[in-house]
Parts: sequence; structure tokens; C-alpha cells
Amino acid sequence: MEKQSHLLLWKAVFVLIIIGLGFGIYAGSKSIDYTWRWERIPQYIINTEATTVRAPFDGTATIEKGNRLVVTSDYGDDPLVIKKFDNLLVGHGDLVFEGDPLVEVENWNIGPLTWGLVMTLQLSVVSLVFAVVIGLFAGLARISSNPALRYLSITYIELIRGTPLLVQIFIFYFFIGTVLDLDRFTAGVAALSVFTGAYIAEIVRSGIQSISPGQMEAARSLGMNYVQAMVNVILPQAFKRTLPPMAGQFINLIKDSSLVSVISITDLTKAGREVVSSTFAPFEVWFAVALMYLVLTGALSWAIQRLEKRLSASD
Amino acid sequence: MTNRTDKSIIQARNIEKIYPNGCHALKKVSLDINRGEVVVIIGPSGSGKSTFLRTLNQLETISDGTIHIDEVSLTDRKTNINKVREEVGMVFQSFNLFPHKTALGNVALSPIKVKKKPRAVAEQEGRELLKKVGLAERMNNYPSHLSGGQQQRVAIARALAMHPKIMLFDEPTSALDPEMVGEVLDVMKSLARDGMTMVVVTHEMGFAREVADRVVFMEDGELVFEESPERFFSSDNPRLQRFLGQVL
Repeated sequence: MEKQSHLLLWKAVFVLIIIGLGFGIYAGSKSIDYTWRWERIPQYIINTEATTVRAPFDGTATIEKGNRLVVTSDYGDDPLVIKKFDNLLVGHGDLVFEGDPLVEVENWNIGPLTWGLVMTLQLSVVSLVFAVVIGLFAGLARISSNPALRYLSITYIELIRGTPLLVQIFIFYFFIGTVLDLDRFTAGVAALSVFTGAYIAEIVRSGIQSISPGQMEAARSLGMNYVQAMVNVILPQAFKRTLPPMAGQFINLIKDSSLVSVISITDLTKAGREVVSSTFAPFEVWFAVALMYLVLTGALSWAIQRLEKRLSASD
Repeated sequence: MTNRTDKSIIQARNIEKIYPNGCHALKKVSLDINRGEVVVIIGPSGSGKSTFLRTLNQLETISDGTIHIDEVSLTDRKTNINKVREEVGMVFQSFNLFPHKTALGNVALSPIKVKKKPRAVAEQEGRELLKKVGLAERMNNYPSHLSGGQQQRVAIARALAMHPKIMLFDEPTSALDPEMVGEVLDVMKSLARDGMTMVVVTHEMGFAREVADRVVFMEDGELVFEESPERFFSSDNPRLQRFLGQVL
């Protein structure tokens, strides 16, 4: 009983602190006379404004049965047929001239923030795949008995971990990108995957080394060669053990992808900056951007937790 | 060459093992083992008996000497060691079951991956082997849900799944609780009755007395003494006497 009420008390303390923080943000914005304009944000995520279709030539509008608008040209162009629309702006038999509004179509346009989110997602997923491949091979090379492989791997890991990602992105884009004629996206993906690969290599190495040597001996004693033993026995176990640090690294990758905005890739962060300059609502935009990153990273960590749970069947 | 085909399936001659740190683990160890023979190796810890056993499937490389398994030289660079290891099963003190596979998965893995048997065939054979070691009810359990004795029996079935000609046992009962030692020894006894060639490193003197065709005593990296069990346990070799006085 005693214990129970204490737990409740501390949960209440937590809620109070969160409310306090929220109030702090509100009071802070009050003190600098900031006017919140949240209503400006949604259109940059999904734009529901109707688009107007205009006449491409002079002609006559006819409304056929089945609610089809057909505009026949005065000069023999192919007739324009519009099958779906929401608001009709011309009547049957009206003469229309080039540029006249004909109909309004209500459609959902994806706003720049969403495009940024999609770009961030693309960057992250592609980089993640390459980073895992690079990391796996670098990690295996790191524990190889072949000195050439081992030293190469150590050099790679130390070089990449010892320099800032921002500098690497510039090097990849301005130097390697120029030499190999890479576009922005490729250069960005290359920089991100090479950077993350170095960290994954260390995670892979520690994962493999955490598996008891007896496992390799047992696999080899059954006639498996090194590769078979790695693939069937060691790596599946190491994979499970390295999931938590891997999840952290993947989340870092999503967040680090914001740095490629410096080479003019319109990811979520760059989109945010652009939207700020057209809305003059920096607080709202950056909060919205932060929330969108949180959705990505939250979904990822949820998925990995699910995977961990599924793999724990053999525990 | 031909005169030994029926006899020695293992020929170890003048095995030397010196570790890079200078430790001299095996000194001129020679041992021939015949087909169908059960040889038990005993000796104090650090005597090199496990090291010697592990040289027989090259989990431990040797510094000098020669080993022939079924007339195939292990020291020959052209020998495919993986092929030899298919013929030589090994059971470890710490079981070394694959924790991410069920009992059946452990037994079927190598036949599927190494011998390229179809999964259905490998699993059918695996089920029969597990039945043979008394684990018909436990096939779909993960190792973490099995007792030590059960795990070791799965490990024996896993080694047998490759249809080896020789089985090596490296202190198979040393990590077990006393009440589980019997079940593992029973499986080993029935294996010996079926005519399997076995090399067993153990501290189970009862097993040595009952099952062994020959008992070997090692100390300080040397093979001191080898005899049939009757003569072995009644021997008055002073080094053996000292050891037996400590363990019995």
C-alpha cells in the first residue's frame, strides 16, 4: 500500500513537471510578445486549396451528360475534356477565351514540409542500407586475422569517427562529388552511409566478440567453413544482441541526415528553413519540424522494439 | 598404407604443441586408435588432455608431428579440414548449443548447410536422433529451456547428425549437476555399444572402467601411460597412483 501511493505521487510529480515546462514555453513566448500563428502551418504540410483549371484556347464550353465539360476550340485544336471537377465556373454554351477559369478542382497537394519529410526518409533509408552493408564488412574486417584488412578497417573507422560529419559532407560533395561527378543526393547518401558505417562497424565487432568462442568452435567442428559458421551461427546471435545499439545508431542517422541541407538537398530541415522565410512563424515551423522528426524516429524505435520482442522467443 | 585400413582410424605421432607464449602443452604425444575402440583420457587439469583431443579435429593446430584421420593427413596443406571435421564429431564441456535454434534446429543445421540435405530429410533424421537420446518430447524447445543434461544430449545428437566415424568428447559431464551425469553417460554407453570410435576426456572413472577399451593417462603434456582398464586401475605406476589417490 505504502509503495503504491508513493508511485502515484511520483507519477503526479512527473505530470506536474511536464505541465510546468509547457507553461514555461508559453510564458517565454508571452514575454517576447510572440503571436502564435499555428493556422499558417498545416498548408505547408498538406495544401487543400482548390486549383483552378483555365482554358488553353478560345472556344465554346458544352456540358455533356454525365457532368463532363467539353471545350471545343475555335481554331481546330483537339477539344479539352474535363471529367472530374468540384466547382463549375462556366455555363453550357458559354464562349470562353484563353486563360478563362473553367472549373475548380479540390485536390490535396503535398506541402513542402511533407516533401522534406519524404526526402529525409529516402535519404535515411538508402543510407541505412548502405551503412549496414559497409558496417558489416568493416566490422568483419576489423576482427580479421589478415593485417591488411584489419588495418584498413581501423584506419577507416578512426578517420571517420575522428572528423565531423559536416566536414565529411563538404568533402564528399565538393571534392569526391566533383571528381566522380556525383549529384547532391548521391553525395549526401555516400557521406551519411560512410559516416554511419564506421559506427555500425564497431557495433558489429563488439556484437561478434560478445558471442562465446565455443559457438564458432562448435560450428566449425560440425564441418562448417568460416563463412557458413558466421552466417548461420555467429551473426544471427550477434544481430539480436546488437539491436539496441543499432536502434540508437539508426535514430542518429535520421537526425544526422538534417546536415545534408548544407549541400542544398531539400530535406525536412531545409524545407523548414524555407517555410520559415515565407511564413515568418519560426517557432511554429521548428516545433512542427521537430515533431515530424520525432514521428520518424519514434516509428523506427517502435519497430525495432517489436523485432526485439519477436527475437526473444529463444531466451 | 594398406595394412592399417582396418585398424588405426586415428594415428597421432609425436605431437608437439607450443603456444606463442612459450607454454609447452603437448610433448611428443603419440597415440593410435582403432576403429570401434573407446579410449578414455584422464589426467590432472592442465595436463594437455583437452588440447590433445582438440588437435584431432584441428580446433587446435599442432607445432610438430603428424596426425592421420582415416588415412587423411591433417598437417597436409591440401587437406580440406572441413571435410575431415564432418567425419569427426565433437561434444564440448559447455555444450555450445546454438541458442537461437531449437533442439531440432541445432541437430538439423549442419546437415542442411554443409551436406546440403533437403530440410525435410534433415529434420526427419534429426527427430530420430533426438528420439534416440531420449528427447522426443523436447525437439522444439530452445536450449535455454532445457536442463544441462538435456542440452548435452542434444549436443551429442547434433554431432551424430553428420554421421561421423569418430566422436570426441571433451569432459562432457564436467559442467553438469551430479543428477544429470548419468543420463549423458548412458547415451555415451549406448553409442559405444553401437561400435562408434570414441575418444573421451573425462573424470568419470566409473565410465572408464566400464566402457573403455583403453585408458590413457596424461600429465604435464606427456602421455604417461596407456593400458586396458583392468590393468590401468590396478597399476602401480607412481604418477598414476598419485593422481588416482587425489580423485578417487
